[in-house]
Amino acid sequence: MAIYIKGAGMTKFDVDERSSYERVYECVNEALDSGNVSMREIEAVFVSNCEPETNGERQRHTGPMMSSMFQKKMPIITVPAGCGGGGTALWNAAEFQKKNNMRNILVIGFEKLVANLSENITDEMFMGGERIYEQSEGVIFPAQNALVAQQYMEKYGATEDDLALVALKNHENAFLNPKARFYGKKVTLDMIKKSPVVASPLRLFDCSIPCNGAAATIISRNKTGVELAGSGLSTSKLASFEREDMTSWDSTINAAKIAYQEANISPKEVDIAEVHDAFTPVELISYEDLGFCKKGEGHYLIRQGITKINGKLPVNTSGGLKAKGHPISATGVSQIYELFLQLTGNAKDRQVDNVNYGLAHNTGGAGSITSVHILKRAM
Amino acid sequence: MIIRWICEKDNKKWMYPIQKCIYCKGPIKKQVSRKARVIGITKVNIPSPMHPIIPYNVILLEDEHGNRMPKKTMKDYKIGDEYKIEKAKSDSAVIATKIKYDLYEALKSSLELLNSFDVMENDKVLIKPSIIEPAYSYTAVNTNPKILDALITLLKEKNINDIIVAEQAMIGNDTLDSAKKSGILEVCEKHNIGFVDLEKAEYVEKEADGIKFRIAKNFIERKVINIPVMKTNSQIGVSGAVENMMRCTHKDTQKIMFEHDIEKTLPKLLKTLPRFLSIGDATIGMHGQGPTSLGEPAFLNMLFASKDPVALDVVFVEMGMLEMPQYLKECGSLGLGNCNEKTIEVVGDELEAIKFALKPAKKNESAHPKIKLIDGKANPYIFNSAIKATAKLVGLSGQEINLAIGSQLTKDMIADKNRLVAYGNGAIEKIKSLGITPIAEITDDIDDLEKIILLKSILENPEKEGITVVDKIKSKIFKFGAKIKNGF
Repeated sequence: MAIYIKGAGMTKFDVDERSSYERVYECVNEALDSGNVSMREIEAVFVSNCEPETNGERQRHTGPMMSSMFQKKMPIITVPAGCGGGGTALWNAAEFQKKNNMRNILVIGFEKLVANLSENITDEMFMGGERIYEQSEGVIFPAQNALVAQQYMEKYGATEDDLALVALKNHENAFLNPKARFYGKKVTLDMIKKSPVVASPLRLFDCSIPCNGAAATIISRNKTGVELAGSGLSTSKLASFEREDMTSWDSTINAAKIAYQEANISPKEVDIAEVHDAFTPVELISYEDLGFCKKGEGHYLIRQGITKINGKLPVNTSGGLKAKGHPISATGVSQIYELFLQLTGNAKDRQVDNVNYGLAHNTGGAGSITSVHILKRAM
Repeated sequence: MIIRWICEKDNKKWMYPIQKCIYCKGPIKKQVSRKARVIGITKVNIPSPMHPIIPYNVILLEDEHGNRMPKKTMKDYKIGDEYKIEKAKSDSAVIATKIKYDLYEALKSSLELLNSFDVMENDKVLIKPSIIEPAYSYTAVNTNPKILDALITLLKEKNINDIIVAEQAMIGNDTLDSAKKSGILEVCEKHNIGFVDLEKAEYVEKEADGIKFRIAKNFIERKVINIPVMKTNSQIGVSGAVENMMRCTHKDTQKIMFEHDIEKTLPKLLKTLPRFLSIGDATIGMHGQGPTSLGEPAFLNMLFASKDPVALDVVFVEMGMLEMPQYLKECGSLGLGNCNEKTIEVVGDELEAIKFALKPAKKNESAHPKIKLIDGKANPYIFNSAIKATAKLVGLSGQEINLAIGSQLTKDMIADKNRLVAYGNGAIEKIKSLGITPIAEITDDIDDLEKIILLKSILENPEKEGITVVDKIKSKIFKFGAKIKNGF
């Protein structure tokens, strides 16, 4: 049974103090309007949110919160999975659709993350790491990814300059995206290379930017111009140091394999990708794990400009987590929003030509849970 | 120390204790490495509440089995360096150990890192936990029974079998009830170890600097292993290894110690005691309004061990970024232990790397926001009684009361306080001697329930200028009614 993307919406990713309810309402409205759907035609909802303690909302029980907002009794299933929440919610919705053949299912990811002191937000996000070995040893997420990056760079010869090129590319793309945190903001290579070291070798500009935001998409049994051609989900060990090879994320490899099989395509057929660049080295590692190049050659893609917006395989045309912003659970759904725009020809200044297949890669933790979705132009 | 639980047959590795393989149902082997090599390094420059001091390094370690773990350190390492923790060199060293899921291994490692473990096969051992009130182990009020369990297991493995566990609850609380609820009694029963209620123990008298201490004889005759819970303490700042030994004395001695200023008498008590080993229980630990259940669990997941109780407490104070209590300074100046954090040898986890701000205990807070405590170093009975009474009134509004307790009150502490209530005979006498008249006096001899009723009456009636005969009759009637309801 084919599953289609009927509509998508997202708020601007920013640090505005608007409530979660306002953001969800806005992006759901946009998704409904873009698919010409009324809430009457929505039969189930999958929603992802981290329920942060530090944002002052004190709003757990996300499902019934949505029920109040939508004024509707239906299955509303909450799918928290850290930074991988949005993609995981979509995967669950797709599986649910395969079994239940519903008219329309709404998928939402939202987060109000930036609403407190930065150290408290760091601590809030820190809870996504393993408690005994990582949290107690100061392995905040930048440190966790720095250790991975170091292993990767030592093993394959990637450099800090390669990381800077990833950041630059994604900032250039975000410059064109009105919903990105860094929209219209010029960031230069010099700024990136001179930015302060957060956790060596990672600099400030190697890290994605926490922000607030919400995104929604509607999957449907009715044919539209965009098909959800393949979906894969895989988990791995929570701590990256536990895995045999720290420089390759098996959850990405596994999820991608499933998604490619389901879509019946090879990585070569992907025209555009939204990759989980929570930290710049993750984008390079993911090029390899998604099959866009051989193991250890990720940095050549960025050096050769292949993943730039005008390259052979544009990656993160939205600006990615790096420059569009990373409101945790909203990220995975916002990737679908970007692909939906690209596949329907609505990406305006950042529109890529001849897009037939788009891939979304969304990860929680340092490769602890990963979803890969492949969207296909269905006309 | 890197630990993994492995199933060789299915090639599975777990970071936490697993009893049997969930695949082949076969046995699990524990793999423990005490040496590792540095394979990765990152310098972190952004602070977080658990790691406020920057920059710090995180090194990635790998052992001979390929098992890895990250380690926070303030030292600089190079890739390829060997990482090994050396044994302590001095008697006053403090071993600081983060528990990596396995309390037994953490304790074993801590004791192995001491410069010597002075308990031998034929020694008679007394383990002194901290059991102050009936509270479950998750509250961190009493010693975590799992430490006791691990310690007894370790001692038995060394063929040390003549072991008793001895303790008494804070004055005013029932020892056996407390031992039972804390889970300590269950561990004693599991290992067939006797629990000695120190309220019923035989005491010997020892004198130091004019104070006569009645000390349980067992503490003189046996080798003592002290297992305090590491806490903040609203009376003396911090309670740990030094303070926990107070309850090896008779209750009357404890009262005398408070009457003569507990911060001065604790060092004197330490003078009279033979040397002992302390294992600081920071498995959970407490911060905020300790040492009773008004304090909050701190979730520290650590152990401290030392033959110098003063140094151990000082390391805890430094770790929690707390103010150094006066009695620890006094202990240091009397040569009873090392109170200079700069010269204490800390082995295991680096002190600078484990520092983060614990909530200090506030001296003037009771359980009720409108009842301010003025603590003239009240003895545990009065302190406990005041805290319990105010806790029962939580939720009631009223006008602020200043509740004075203890016999070490000074004029400065109470002179300009409105609605002053003297709680306990020590405070009543002291306030009288200072020529100040409180609005009410609540004596030691009245029942706890009556004390609560009287306090309630003062709290709720702003115009009240004292406890009247009518109040007293009412509280007696209420108490009588409560007794009938409870079937006496």
